[in-house]
Amino acid sequence: MSSAVADRARRRWARWLDRRIPRAATITLDRRRIFIFPSATGGFFGLSLLVMLIAAINYQNNMSYALTFLLANLFLVAVLHSYANLSNLTISAVGAQDVFAGQRCAFHLRLAADERHGHFALQVGWAVPAGERRRRRLWDLFSSPDMLAVDEVDLEAGTQRDLRLHLPVGERGWYRPGRLRIESVYPLGLLRCWTWVDLNLRALVYPLPRALGKPAAQQGDGREGLELAGSGDDEFAGIRDYREGDNPRRVFWKGLARGQSLQTKEYASTIADPRWLNWEDFPGLAPERRLSALCHWVLDYHRRELEYGLRLPTTTLAPAQGERQRARALRALALYGIEEEA
Amino acid sequence: MKQAQQLPRPALVWIIAAQALLLLPHITRVPVWVAAVYLAAFIWRFQAFRGRLELPGRWLKVALSGAAAAGIALSFGSLLGMEPMVAFLLTAFALKLTEMRSRKDAYVVVFLGYFVCLTAFLFSQGLLMVGCGLVMVWVLTTALVSIHRPGAAWRDTRSMKLAATMLLQAAPLMVILFFLFPRIGPLWSVPLKSHTAKTGMSDTLRPGIVSRLSQSPDVAFRVRFDGEIPLPRELYWRGVVMSRADGDTWRSLGYFEVPPRERAEAGVVREGPSLSYRIIQEATQQSHLYGLRYARSSRRGVMHLHDYRMYSPAIVESEFQYAVRSWPQARFGLELSNWRRRIETRLPEGNPRTRDLAARLLSEAGSAPAFVDAVLRHFRSQPFFYTLQPPLLGQRDPMDRFLFETRRGFCEHYAAAFALMARSVGIPARIVGGYLGGEINPVNRTVIVHQFDAHAWNEVWLAGRGWVRVDPTAAVAPDRILYGLERALASEGSFLAESPLSPLRYRSVDWINTLRLRYDALTYRWQSWVTGFDGETQFDLLRSYLGEISVTRSLSLVLGCAVLSLAVVALLLLRRSGPGPRPIFETELRRYTRALRRRGLAAVPGETPAQLTERAARRWPRHAEGIRALYRALSSLVYAPRGDAMASKRRLRQLRRRVRRLQFVR
Repeated sequence: MSSAVADRARRRWARWLDRRIPRAATITLDRRRIFIFPSATGGFFGLSLLVMLIAAINYQNNMSYALTFLLANLFLVAVLHSYANLSNLTISAVGAQDVFAGQRCAFHLRLAADERHGHFALQVGWAVPAGERRRRRLWDLFSSPDMLAVDEVDLEAGTQRDLRLHLPVGERGWYRPGRLRIESVYPLGLLRCWTWVDLNLRALVYPLPRALGKPAAQQGDGREGLELAGSGDDEFAGIRDYREGDNPRRVFWKGLARGQSLQTKEYASTIADPRWLNWEDFPGLAPERRLSALCHWVLDYHRRELEYGLRLPTTTLAPAQGERQRARALRALALYGIEEEA
Repeated sequence: MKQAQQLPRPALVWIIAAQALLLLPHITRVPVWVAAVYLAAFIWRFQAFRGRLELPGRWLKVALSGAAAAGIALSFGSLLGMEPMVAFLLTAFALKLTEMRSRKDAYVVVFLGYFVCLTAFLFSQGLLMVGCGLVMVWVLTTALVSIHRPGAAWRDTRSMKLAATMLLQAAPLMVILFFLFPRIGPLWSVPLKSHTAKTGMSDTLRPGIVSRLSQSPDVAFRVRFDGEIPLPRELYWRGVVMSRADGDTWRSLGYFEVPPRERAEAGVVREGPSLSYRIIQEATQQSHLYGLRYARSSRRGVMHLHDYRMYSPAIVESEFQYAVRSWPQARFGLELSNWRRRIETRLPEGNPRTRDLAARLLSEAGSAPAFVDAVLRHFRSQPFFYTLQPPLLGQRDPMDRFLFETRRGFCEHYAAAFALMARSVGIPARIVGGYLGGEINPVNRTVIVHQFDAHAWNEVWLAGRGWVRVDPTAAVAPDRILYGLERALASEGSFLAESPLSPLRYRSVDWINTLRLRYDALTYRWQSWVTGFDGETQFDLLRSYLGEISVTRSLSLVLGCAVLSLAVVALLLLRRSGPGPRPIFETELRRYTRALRRRGLAAVPGETPAQLTERAARRWPRHAEGIRALYRALSSLVYAPRGDAMASKRRLRQLRRRVRRLQFVR
């Protein structure tokens, strides 16, 4: 199968699945959301039954017939039991921890059983993404896809259980783990019963902090940033393009009057103000590396309990300190250039 | 290996239990060393479990399997045949235990276990075996469930319960399939039970053969008559007709020893009333079928041979059911061909004194019928004894020795002596082997014919009457014919002397006998309905219930039943509406208020349990603290976690005891 066809099929499958099991933070499994198919063991069991049936026919042995039929019906009954094992299970997304790129993110889920039905041997996890999967052979039709971050859970009737599943995340931005797979071969292992649910889980991934360069305020003479902050205020340094959030008092109105575009006057103190972490402080670095560097300094300032502001081409954060500022700064860095999703 | 693929310990225990159980029914059929392999495998596995031993590596496993195959070939002489195959299966089954590490291996062992269970049925389909089989399937299924319950505690019985539930839910449809699944013939020929001893009458008759058979309490066959059961003394079940005498051995004629034109039944005149009955014969590993005099069966595959007996070309390997119609007064063999006369009077050399005696008796009697009477009179008047323990007769002229010296013998001695005497004077005579009489089971009006009812008698050809039955034993021991073997041997005490545990020996003990007969009736029903169910009975059944047999009707019946039974199961499993089980708190609170009411303190409408408790505390100030503490314990149940059943159960029992004690508060 060419990969284009496979891709199209996969997209089609994903669309169908989106319609069938829409995204929701809490999902209770029912008829529409549960899939069931014989497992490889079930196929082997079927083969054994065939051998037993042949033995019964060849030996004309009625009790062998009876045994074969009993086991065949056991298989049928197991379909219902496997289904019942997943049915009425409620899965909720509790949240996800924010992480730095390349780390493992803990996704927090809650499984709850109703008063009547317990759920056993549930394997909860995410399928390995399509690109990283090993090639599947025909035989694998019977087996489940390889899973990441699997946990096996037993859930008694009337109880609930919290799970933390750790997934490696990639680039900065929003990380969506995709559809959560819950499967079980309980009770006999002959059938695999599973569901794919999209719990609308996402984790914010910060850029990987890297000590690349220093903010302008600390470059060169190595003077303490705070001293620098106290020194001369109004030494004119140049003019640059206006950015949203610039102080209107520093707008180069004269230039505007002359018909030039909106520009801002820059003063040495503004650049050198130790409280500001600026996008421009790291010239020569690629944007991603620049973000990594900024991230490093955000963490550094936060650790030293300093007040700091962040100035990115798209956003500016007023100087402040504390956890809240750290979170806002890291979020801004993580989402730089990425459109906020609804 | 993923953690999920590891084998939980309870599953291992269940599998070992299943293996031990599965060996049981086969234990007499396999060499002792197979059982030893089992034991070794268990010990090995257990030691590996404790970390004392490593599980065997690949080469050791290959070597062990090879050794097992060689051992079986040595023990049985070949690898073909059913017993060696079963022994091989069992050995492989035991060895598999030592290499079982993951779930996958466990699946293989369990499925193999189901197959081993099936092989047990190939040897016996009796009620006992089926009960045993049910237990085995249950244990195997429990093992299968517990493979998927890694978190289960040792004392958790839920795997057992679930397995039982699922099997019960599978049973109704099994019954439907059992009766509706088309019974077709074997797809190819399969190895026979080569090592199982043949039972019942054999093809040949030598002094000592029938008496040995008469030691056995086993059932030969069961008969159900349509209508009245004839008197036991008229129930001569013909099985083997022995027309050839070789030395002192008599045997029946092989199919190809008979010229083609003689192979059909000849000269039968069906006279008088007929009897209809149905026989369910136990497996004999032989071809003989049994029937009363002049019997015809319409069952497919039953042959009627030239000497007026029924015969199954296929060896009777499992219970065999056939309907028979008999004409007890029919005459057959009215004309005797030259070939047959020559065959039926041929006699080996020897036994001169017997020949002299026969010649003398014939000359005194004058005619063949009178000669027969004279011989019987001779047996009656001379001191002959009927015994299960006759003395050995030696190789030379055994009949001379029997008739003139020992004079002690079992039916085959008398039958052989009679046939010899008749043939020596030119009267066609032969020996018939079969059974005489039978026990009537009052529970279901069947006739149970045991192996100890085995008997041998004669048929003699008389002009105008054809083949006539003559039973010389009747002249010696009339009790045998009238009342059966036990009575005939009463003075000797040798009846079933070798089977001290057979319930048949305790027929005089009322309750044992009732139990035995009831069980036998159950067995008959089981055999006629279940194990004896075959294509023909299926055809009749379907025609009577479905009217007409068509694929669509059968298929829709199967599908309908399948949908129905699965729907019931689904309903049981998935019902969602309705309240869940009542919270423990409420039931316990009811007990509490009831206890107070009995003490004369009824709850006022609108009163909360706490207010009621306070009132009780005021009423019995001496017990105030106890009552308050009890209510506190009770109300803590509101938030009791559900899953923690074990712990809360003990607390609950305590609580109830305290509530009960409240009843003594005065």
